[in-house]
Amino acid sequence: MSAPPFRFSRALSSPASLDPVDPRGARLAAALTSLVLAAVLVAAPAGWATALLAAQTVVFGWGAARGAAATPYAVLFRRLVRPRLAPVEPEDPRPPRFAQAVGLSFSAVGLLALASGARLLGLVAVGAALSAALLNAAFGLCLGCECYLLLARARHRRTARSTGPGVAPR
Amino acid sequence: MPAGLIVLVVAVLATTLVGLHRRRSDGRMRSGSGEPTLSRADLGAEPGARATLLQFSSAFCQPCRATRAVLAEVATLVPGVEHVEVDAESRLELVRRLGIIRTPTVLVLDPAGRELRRVSGVPRRDAVLATLAELT
Repeated sequence: MSAPPFRFSRALSSPASLDPVDPRGARLAAALTSLVLAAVLVAAPAGWATALLAAQTVVFGWGAARGAAATPYAVLFRRLVRPRLAPVEPEDPRPPRFAQAVGLSFSAVGLLALASGARLLGLVAVGAALSAALLNAAFGLCLGCECYLLLARARHRRTARSTGPGVAPR
Repeated sequence: MPAGLIVLVVAVLATTLVGLHRRRSDGRMRSGSGEPTLSRADLGAEPGARATLLQFSSAFCQPCRATRAVLAEVATLVPGVEHVEVDAESRLELVRRLGIIRTPTVLVLDPAGRELRRVSGVPRRDAVLATLAELT
């Protein structure tokens, strides 16, 4: 009997909080992240730009591990912004967390590239992270959610190839 | 012009184009293939006598929840219309066969299971009602 297929949905439902979160906090975080990444792009390869990118990468990592609600941007939102707003239906915290993980991968690549002198690669990776954050901030699109099905389809194709014609499909 | 600034401009432009395109195509009813899509066995549920609203959803997809609410309302408003929801991740062979690339995607099927219309993103209730009135 083959092992159950890996599901992103299961991986994201780990010990970190599953409490629903205010979606506006995630959007504010995406907006602030976009500003940070834009600043990195404009000022690269200055030392402080790389340091800023390193800080943002740590924030992404923290958000990916503990959930987007744990990031400084989210804390800022809860302390300063949300008290002034009417309450709104909270949403599933997993998509914002997945978005943090996506941001982490791009910015980590960018950071490594910039730190090792591969400037163009670094800039493009940061640009990709910026695009993802901006899509969320400006258009409310969750890139991770959009790619979710495509990723599942790609994995399915690989699994299907590795099982021979004589194996019953799942 | 420093390279970083060029990347920034390209990123912002690309994002704007993608965002605007998505905003335009979301919720828009498009022509379906007209092909027979699903047998009753495939569907796992009774097809509607007049139409079936087949919704493909995935895990933690907030627009899918919104779509579910819209289609459930339509199904109660229009007799003979069934709303069937499928988890895309557990029906990947179906997803591939039908060319579904994102969720939510809704297929409007006739009683014989032929795909009449397709819409991705959250459809507007009135657009679905108008489509059903036009088709059936």
